[in-house]
Amino acid sequence: MDHQQSGAGAAPASNFAQEIDAHPLEFTGSGGEYFRVWIVNVLLTILTLGFYTPWARRRTAQYFYGHTLVAGSPLEFTAQQRRMVMGFVMLVMITIAYNIAVNTGQDTAVSLFLLAGALLAPFIWGSAMRFRLGSTRWRGLRLQFTASWREVYVASWPVFAIALVWIGVFFGIQYLAPESAGALQELAADESGEADLPTMTAAIWGLVVLGLLLSVLCFIRLEYNYKSLLVLRAQVGAESGRWKPVYMDFIKVWAATVAVFLLFVVGISAGLAVLAGGSFALIAGLKDKWGALIFVVFAVAFIAGIFLMFLASAPARAYREARMFQLMWDNIGLSQVARFKCQLRTGRYVLLRIKNLFLTLLTLGLYRPFARVSEYRMKVESVTLHVKGGVDQVAGAMVRQQQQGGIGDALADAAGLDLIG
Amino acid sequence: MNAPPSSAAAPPGTLVPGRWFDGLSSQARPVLVGLQRTPKGPSLALHPLSQPGAAPTVFPWGEVGWPEAWSERRPQQRVVVDLRDQGSLEIDAVAQWHAALAEAGARPSLAERMQTRWPVLLGVTAVAVIGLTLFYRYGTPWAATELTRFVPLSWETSVASNVLTQMDKGTLKPSKLPQERQAALKARFDTLVQALPTQLQRYPGYAPTYTLSFRSGMGANAFALPGGTVVMTDGLAKAAEKKGLSDDALIGVLAHEIGHVANRHTTRMVVQQGVLQMGMGLALGDVSGIVSTGASVLTGLAYSRNHEREADCFAIAVMSHAKLPTAPMGKLLLAIAQDEDDEEKAARKKAATAAKEGASAPAEGSASTTAEPKSPEALGPVWSLLSSHPDTVERATELEQGHAMHCPKRG
Repeated sequence: MDHQQSGAGAAPASNFAQEIDAHPLEFTGSGGEYFRVWIVNVLLTILTLGFYTPWARRRTAQYFYGHTLVAGSPLEFTAQQRRMVMGFVMLVMITIAYNIAVNTGQDTAVSLFLLAGALLAPFIWGSAMRFRLGSTRWRGLRLQFTASWREVYVASWPVFAIALVWIGVFFGIQYLAPESAGALQELAADESGEADLPTMTAAIWGLVVLGLLLSVLCFIRLEYNYKSLLVLRAQVGAESGRWKPVYMDFIKVWAATVAVFLLFVVGISAGLAVLAGGSFALIAGLKDKWGALIFVVFAVAFIAGIFLMFLASAPARAYREARMFQLMWDNIGLSQVARFKCQLRTGRYVLLRIKNLFLTLLTLGLYRPFARVSEYRMKVESVTLHVKGGVDQVAGAMVRQQQQGGIGDALADAAGLDLIG
Repeated sequence: MNAPPSSAAAPPGTLVPGRWFDGLSSQARPVLVGLQRTPKGPSLALHPLSQPGAAPTVFPWGEVGWPEAWSERRPQQRVVVDLRDQGSLEIDAVAQWHAALAEAGARPSLAERMQTRWPVLLGVTAVAVIGLTLFYRYGTPWAATELTRFVPLSWETSVASNVLTQMDKGTLKPSKLPQERQAALKARFDTLVQALPTQLQRYPGYAPTYTLSFRSGMGANAFALPGGTVVMTDGLAKAAEKKGLSDDALIGVLAHEIGHVANRHTTRMVVQQGVLQMGMGLALGDVSGIVSTGASVLTGLAYSRNHEREADCFAIAVMSHAKLPTAPMGKLLLAIAQDEDDEEKAARKKAATAAKEGASAPAEGSASTTAEPKSPEALGPVWSLLSSHPDTVERATELEQGHAMHCPKRG
């Protein structure tokens, strides 16, 4: 797309006066070693009834960071343990308060919790990113996330747009068919589901489909906004991040992901149909002897079917992750000083993820540390850093930086945002 | 820059070459790192190689983020020491660094010892297994019993009325027992409730209103809802009649159900599941969902068996207090269990497949143990009387004898 920038790869472009060094990223950890890290964390977490969690998170991060070499220098995870513990304790208290509110039926408190959670979601994301970058150091230089809260909330507009879309859909339905909207309300109010289902006209269907489509687009926009804000407002020393992807790139990745998903669903369904056909023939032969066996076969087939559908989404999820990773790491850089190139092979990554999924299931989860290391390794080692004029010329413009609180991180952890990966 | 000269004017002690990044630029300064033994732990001194003879920068033990050793045999390629605001220190000679640290009296943390030494890891594993077993066996029930004190009676009654409404829409039908028979049983039930010995109260101040309702459906059964509602099916009354047992048998069963209410078993089960899911989720969440769910299910089953025993003890105590025999109740239990067995034998084929389906869908099993009292139909027709099937004979024998080994002695 942009020749000046994309030319900086293997053959240094002539319009750069200084020489450009290529530094492939390295990961020097091993699955066996990380298994030890993980089992130690699990044991200590059990013994402390879960309160070891912040220490476990820090050890895990330190293991992965310390074994990730960028231009020969390991990354460093420098979060203060005290702050992580405080964040964790606050999270535990919030969770307990919420659960008490839910279990004692205090609806007002519960809705307040949910509303506060929704309104604070961008803030939580922002503080998690601040924590994450602020706790990362490379060659003595702290990374920084410099976005202001205003920028974070502006970037979160799709969240609020999704809410507006559904309000719009509701009023649209009311306008098109007043009695259906009434019935919908009744349906929502009466849990037993005795209200008549509204008659769905084509227009209403169209409206709902439109709402869904807009929501998906908003969701992708949110992902795009957050990722670009993260890169653009990331700072190493005086240098800030550079970002090239456009919204359309993200939409393409998502569209391809849906296609992969459908492909696998169709493939697996076809396989199942053949299998089912076979077993029907088998059962027909056996029916007289073993009537009971039919039920067993059906039960097994049913459970296997659900399981296969879960598996069918796994390749699509791995595919999306790989494509997103390529998109990101092939198109970002650090002002005019550095840029990244990514050679992750999508097919190989998807295969690795499927293999890991099976082994993890077979070992009841014990293979997970090995899986995590192998996936992390494949991703890290696919990235090459190209630096103009040597890695020791980045000046730390920022002076002292206050340490970030750990609550954002603890909340992000609860929300499933992983520190590693 | 990458290989600092090691032959500089060396101060005393073991010196490890390193690169110091001061946090202001990405440029490295070659240094020699000295570790000194201090009471708290080793202190770290940086001797810059560019200015030989200059005074070293010294960092006390507490102002350094010491990197953990991850493996005894395979030293890391390069470690980074966190000097907080003073930047970081990169060290290539990792083995030498760890040796110097040990020499200067560094004490590795428990996690680090577990990480690098097998015996420590195995020892802690043993402690964790024992701890988990104890928690599971005693900790959770205790916590649930204590937490239940804070659950208000109004919550229980509202749950109970919801559940009964749902069941009335589903499996339960109005009772066909004659009114006078219902009134007679209700009168005896009320007498029994009036005469409940106070020393049996596990929850002082917990005073639910006990009411007896009649329904048909769900075979021969009786069950208790939290907050005091006890439901008896027509099938149970008929079963007692068929065996020629006196009403004392039915009253015994009702006493058992009152025991569930007085001991707040439903609430305790709900709280227990909550505690357990939280505990297991925290402790085992990282291992796998399968393991942690499995543990919850198993515990749920064990607890429900304990609850049955507790209710039996309650029934025995109440009945002996009211000078009523418990033997008829034991006989009734056995009779129903035998009927069940006969039915099962008759419908063996169906039952076998159903059992297999049940076994291959553990999620369903867990749901029914969690919400056990709410959905008795999920566990077959007579769960609340006979939910722990293999024990039924033993339980019935104990009831016939009027005393049980596991019951606490009461003054």
